[in-house]
Amino acid sequence: MKARICVALAAAALLGGCAKEQTRYGDARAVETLTNQFGSTDLQMMAESMARSMLQAPVIASANLPIVTVQEVRNKTSEYIDTRAITDSIRAELQKGGRVRFAVDQAGMNPQVEELKRQQSGLYSKESAAEMGQMVGAQYRLEGNIVSIVKQVKDAKDVYYKLNLQLWNVRNGLLEWSDEKEIRKTTTKG
Amino acid sequence: MTRALLIPAILCAALAAGCATKKGFEQPGFAFGCPIGEAKVGSMDDLVKAKVLSEGRRTTIQATEMRCSKSGDLLKIDANLNNDSKTIKRIAYKFRWIDREGMRAWEEEPWKPAMLYENSNLVINTISPTNKAADFRLILRSEE
Repeated sequence: MKARICVALAAAALLGGCAKEQTRYGDARAVETLTNQFGSTDLQMMAESMARSMLQAPVIASANLPIVTVQEVRNKTSEYIDTRAITDSIRAELQKGGRVRFAVDQAGMNPQVEELKRQQSGLYSKESAAEMGQMVGAQYRLEGNIVSIVKQVKDAKDVYYKLNLQLWNVRNGLLEWSDEKEIRKTTTKG
Repeated sequence: MTRALLIPAILCAALAAGCATKKGFEQPGFAFGCPIGEAKVGSMDDLVKAKVLSEGRRTTIQATEMRCSKSGDLLKIDANLNNDSKTIKRIAYKFRWIDREGMRAWEEEPWKPAMLYENSNLVINTISPTNKAADFRLILRSEE
């Protein structure tokens, strides 16, 4: 009996040792369906869809490099979503397309002012130091909301996300563009 | 036949011949509004064959129609996908943007999931992200 237990333990230890961990690189742009929480595919789809839609807005398409500032996308879902990642991706796509210029936003204001103050501290030559009062104000501000509706029964969970973005004219307060992107994900067991 | 009858007959024949070509008043190098370059595209099937690629797992979903138009200096595309099977099909798709020199005009797009009900069509549409994009490919893969 003892001999059998020894053999079984040795076999188990051997098998445990053989279950090697493996790390591989994957496709960052593949469809990700590991869970039904907000994921990389949702972020990429929302950002691409919104950026392409905004390209067609008359104020973007017909203007000569309009200046936009990105404000908050409020997370009204029940889970943690880094909404800054969505607006960062939209901004990157629009900037790369060369259609829009972006003014420093609220989040970037402190570092911007600090840098201006540093350059005005007397440590830099007057010719190269950036002057105070030369920053350019945005013509439009981008803001929005992301909401979710979650329904769950015993063996199924359904999540619906909706991102709504709006582009407001800073000068006259008019809504110049708005669009929505919806995503539905359903997980079933068994 | 009198001259009075002959002239309208010739006019009608010329008009009919002009309308008989599928491409009608298409610009050279374009078919159904889509850029085709030097490719010979005489029908919608030819256009779909030239523009649609399959990568990864093959899908039974077929692109059946494709139309393009200009929106300013950007290219707008509508593609009709058809599921003629009796089951729901899940696919992923992306567009690949190509510039005038045949190089990539934009980075690889993320795969976008789509679901097609049984015996149904789905129209996917997009717009080119940059005016450097002169041509495109629609890429499909199965997500079953």
